[in-house]
Amino acid sequence: MTSRPGSNRISTPWPGARACALGLLFILLVIPAVSWAAPGNGDQYDLLARATQLVQEDRLDEAVDVFRKVPPPPPGEDAGIFVRSRMEAAKILLSNKDYQASAAMCHEILSLLPDNLEAKNLLSKIQAAQTPKWVRFLKDMKTYLPTLAKATVMTLLLVLITMFISPVGGLFIAMGRISRLQVLSGLFWCYIWIFRGTPLLLQLFFIYYGLPSLGITLDPFPAAVLGLGLNYSAYLAEIMRGAIESIDAGQMEAAKSLGMSYWQAMRRIIIPQTYKRLVPPVGNEFIALIKDTALVSTIAMVELMRAANQIYSATFNVFILFQAALVYLVLTSIFTVSFRKLEDRLGVYENR
Amino acid sequence: MIDLQGVLKRFGALTAVDHVDLSIEEGERIVIIGPSGSGKTTLLRMINFLETIDDGRILIDGREAGYRRDRKGRLVLEKQSVICTLRSEIGMVFQHFHLFPHMTVLQNVMEGPVTVKKQSREEARAVALDLLGKVGLLDKRDVYPAFLSGGQKQRVAIARALAMKPRLMLFDEPTSALDPELVGEVFSAIKSLAAEGMTMVIVTHQMGFAREMADRVIFMDNGKFIYEGTPAEVFSDTMDNPRVKAFMDKVL
Repeated sequence: MTSRPGSNRISTPWPGARACALGLLFILLVIPAVSWAAPGNGDQYDLLARATQLVQEDRLDEAVDVFRKVPPPPPGEDAGIFVRSRMEAAKILLSNKDYQASAAMCHEILSLLPDNLEAKNLLSKIQAAQTPKWVRFLKDMKTYLPTLAKATVMTLLLVLITMFISPVGGLFIAMGRISRLQVLSGLFWCYIWIFRGTPLLLQLFFIYYGLPSLGITLDPFPAAVLGLGLNYSAYLAEIMRGAIESIDAGQMEAAKSLGMSYWQAMRRIIIPQTYKRLVPPVGNEFIALIKDTALVSTIAMVELMRAANQIYSATFNVFILFQAALVYLVLTSIFTVSFRKLEDRLGVYENR
Repeated sequence: MIDLQGVLKRFGALTAVDHVDLSIEEGERIVIIGPSGSGKTTLLRMINFLETIDDGRILIDGREAGYRRDRKGRLVLEKQSVICTLRSEIGMVFQHFHLFPHMTVLQNVMEGPVTVKKQSREEARAVALDLLGKVGLLDKRDVYPAFLSGGQKQRVAIARALAMKPRLMLFDEPTSALDPELVGEVFSAIKSLAAEGMTMVIVTHQMGFAREMADRVIFMDNGKFIYEGTPAEVFSDTMDNPRVKAFMDKVL
């Protein structure tokens, strides 16, 4: 057999080499392939290692498949690897929101080791993840209901106290405004000008953070009441002044002709006639007040808004904000209906 | 009883009442007539200090009342309590009634005695019911003014003024805001009051009423008394004052 030097170099130098190469190929490719195709025969450690590797490569679905191939141990032998692999699979399945499969993994562990704590914990986690948001909301609500209720009472308290203070203050200021004494009228004009012309938030800040530098330190509650009272007095004063001035001048003359003094006429004749006219605009103000109490949350007052905000920060449960909104809505609705009824009742003397 | 001496009232450039003298005697019934804007109503309102005078003086029972002079010599109204006392003895009935709409008829009539005179409610109530009976509105005592006719309202207003037991009643065009068919009931209320001897000054455009009621008729124009006399004189066919005659020709 003649051979050319070039082809000689390419051809195998010795005949046994081909067999050797085939053998190597078999070892490298076929044995792993066969062992892969027949996992029952594979070592459980190998499976765990391979799955872990797949997890690291972020091939999660494949990793789960491999984890699940780890066979249950024969009776009496250590179940560590089996438990470990099923747990890992369950966790991946849970993060994929495949709750049923995840729970199945846990149950496999529990059927073997009924007291396995890890599996039990994961099961309850799966259950929690499966619970609808609103159920979770209800649970949160139950937990935070006392906090929210307390905060609602605080808001209501602020509203009621301001509702009591501001008409008194408002009437006082309104009387000053309609005074014929220029100085008095000007003084109260200034008051209204300032308190209607600046944000309530700023006024609250000034009272709570600003006054201490003048030597007056107030707790959040009195500061809130003072701020709301001063502000709402200014608004109500203008409404009341308008209502008083809208009463026919003949009423004052008739009262005077009976010998009444200015104040008697105001108290007995003029002011009572303003009540009905006052109800719609004042009702408006008080509804605005309910919502404005949210502003005092900025001066460390724990009222509805602040409480809702705190609970939200703790739970990230948006429903708590909806709930606070609902409480505000209920309060404003009650006011709307009551003021409507009040207006009708105050109008009995009108022929309509 | 009350004397106005040289009273003057200016509204800007307009002289509403121009140095007028008026003497009201006890039991006298004076009717003031004249064209619109002649100062009748202003004069009437001066009597109970609803209008302040710029000059002149007002005497009650011979004594100067209601005003004092400040350092610059200007007339200023006495302090409120004095004026209130003076007003409480003078009743006034307005053209537009000015009943208190938030009070029932009975409450309207009781208001003055209870608030001003500090009478007990029972006492005031008895007086009010009596007066409502007199003006024929006893059955309306618990009704609000909005549910009354104009004539009924004015009768309540009369009762309300009378409840203060005034010495003098002022009527400022008491029937001008009424439908013609309602005028009669108000007039008869005023007439029965006159029959009891009440002193009164009435401003009206109703000539028939003036003729029937008045002891003395005053014709006013441009803030001045143009003519003063008995009804027989003022309404006589031989009236020689041309302005009065012209007015009468128009209204009668």
